[in-house]
Amino acid sequence: MSETFDLGVEAMKAQLDAKVASYFSSCVHCGLCAEACLFYTETGDPHFTPIYKLEPMKKLWRREKTFWGKLGASLGMGEELTEQDFADWETLVYDSCTLCGRCSMVCPVGNDITYMIRKQREAFSVAGYAPEGMKEASRRALKFGSPMGVTFKTLQATLSHVEKDTGLTIPVDQQGADYMTLFSSMEIVNFPEYIESIARIFKSAGVSWTISSKAYEATNSGIQIGNKEIAAELVGRVVEAAEDLGVKYVVSPECGHAYTAIRWEGPNLIGRAFNFEVVHILELLEQLQSEGRLKLKSTEQTPMTLHDPCQIVRRGGVVDQPRVLLNSVADNFKEMPDHGVMNWCCGGGGGVSANERAEELRLEVFTRKKRQLDQTGVDTMVTACANCRIILEEGIEHYEMDTEVISLTELLAEHLQE
Amino acid sequence: MAIEANGKTFETDEEGYLTNLGEWEPAVAEVMAAEDDLELTSEHWEIINFLREYYEEYQIAPAVRVLTKAVGKKLGKEKGNSKYLYALFPYGPGKQACRFAGLPKPTGCI
Repeated sequence: MSETFDLGVEAMKAQLDAKVASYFSSCVHCGLCAEACLFYTETGDPHFTPIYKLEPMKKLWRREKTFWGKLGASLGMGEELTEQDFADWETLVYDSCTLCGRCSMVCPVGNDITYMIRKQREAFSVAGYAPEGMKEASRRALKFGSPMGVTFKTLQATLSHVEKDTGLTIPVDQQGADYMTLFSSMEIVNFPEYIESIARIFKSAGVSWTISSKAYEATNSGIQIGNKEIAAELVGRVVEAAEDLGVKYVVSPECGHAYTAIRWEGPNLIGRAFNFEVVHILELLEQLQSEGRLKLKSTEQTPMTLHDPCQIVRRGGVVDQPRVLLNSVADNFKEMPDHGVMNWCCGGGGGVSANERAEELRLEVFTRKKRQLDQTGVDTMVTACANCRIILEEGIEHYEMDTEVISLTELLAEHLQE
Repeated sequence: MAIEANGKTFETDEEGYLTNLGEWEPAVAEVMAAEDDLELTSEHWEIINFLREYYEEYQIAPAVRVLTKAVGKKLGKEKGNSKYLYALFPYGPGKQACRFAGLPKPTGCI
């Protein structure tokens, strides 16, 4: 038995909080969570049943927290958590779970299974059983502030292109601005159009905003890999920068988990309330529109549909705003089946997109999204997460589909009343 | 690990990427390509040179999607798709071409 294994077991014990214990004792073994999971419905493999992915934690819970388990353990009986369990469950925990949260929505006794998997990942990560790609992403996040290794120099290069293309000046480290804007690394390197759109919309709506040179990264690999120290460190950097600049709001970008990380988990991670508010970009845009500051012209006749990023709708609670915004520029907006809080994941959330060995499975389960699109019969899909966008584009190319993916913020910027 | 090129020794990591990015010279790409049974043509060099310029500006190795998009913008749409790039670099345009160009391994988002 290795030393890291012992640490992993200790970490797992520490995760057995009141919620986890009550969830395990409430489980009625109905298996409904299987039908809610993309990985089960698309493969039919019962190993992918969400609650089954929690067997290692359940084993420890039984032994540590239940009467019969404790009695058995005191008599030297009952099953113990082994290192082999970590080895056997690693891929189930990391490759076949995108933390999409659909299982938590359907559980008849209200178990937040996604929360439990996040908790279990904490122990797996400590025990050394986490995918290489995610470990590297966390290391880069701590070292450079970005899971992709984006440095301020990279951001500056992107910003200078944006400034050239728009003729606008992008405010950096502007003391006392109202809004401090965060970006995901993927937006900085692959979708500078998003940054450009923000700059144009904010200019047009008269928003006082800034980027911080100290904290511009929105993603949080600590949340994905399941390491609360890393997660807290990354949130802490944003909080420090925002409070130094004295901003009133921090804007979370078109990224799924970034919003959950800073808006819902952030204060708990650092142990205090923020001196500013966190808003998601879609919430802000909808607010600007309702105040009459964001003026749009409706011209789009092409039929469009909306892919809800899991973390924004299910764990973030931003459901209506994208619909209000999309309806104001698209005359033919058509919902997919299972849209909104029950939407299906693109397959690349929860760190799966950074996990190379999961690629084949990820493309296999894309059949769900393909079916949703086929049923909708629309060739233009709007979304609001750069990671979803990349994963959707890969799936579309893999299945040789004829679907265009665009970002909602960019679409709005194209319809600005200049 | 290490490779020999142009009479010199270049250290690489366990996946074959140069440890010291500043040491790169064209012979490194030639040797790495030969090890992968590839002969570098001017089409390959177009991408390798593009990658080096990209890295110079952004200080980051682009992932496949970033690469295809940026190549399309710079070298024309018919080259800005993954089919074209995979044909040139069968082990993955991001990974293999970045390795030849002396860049670190490209990374994805999380």
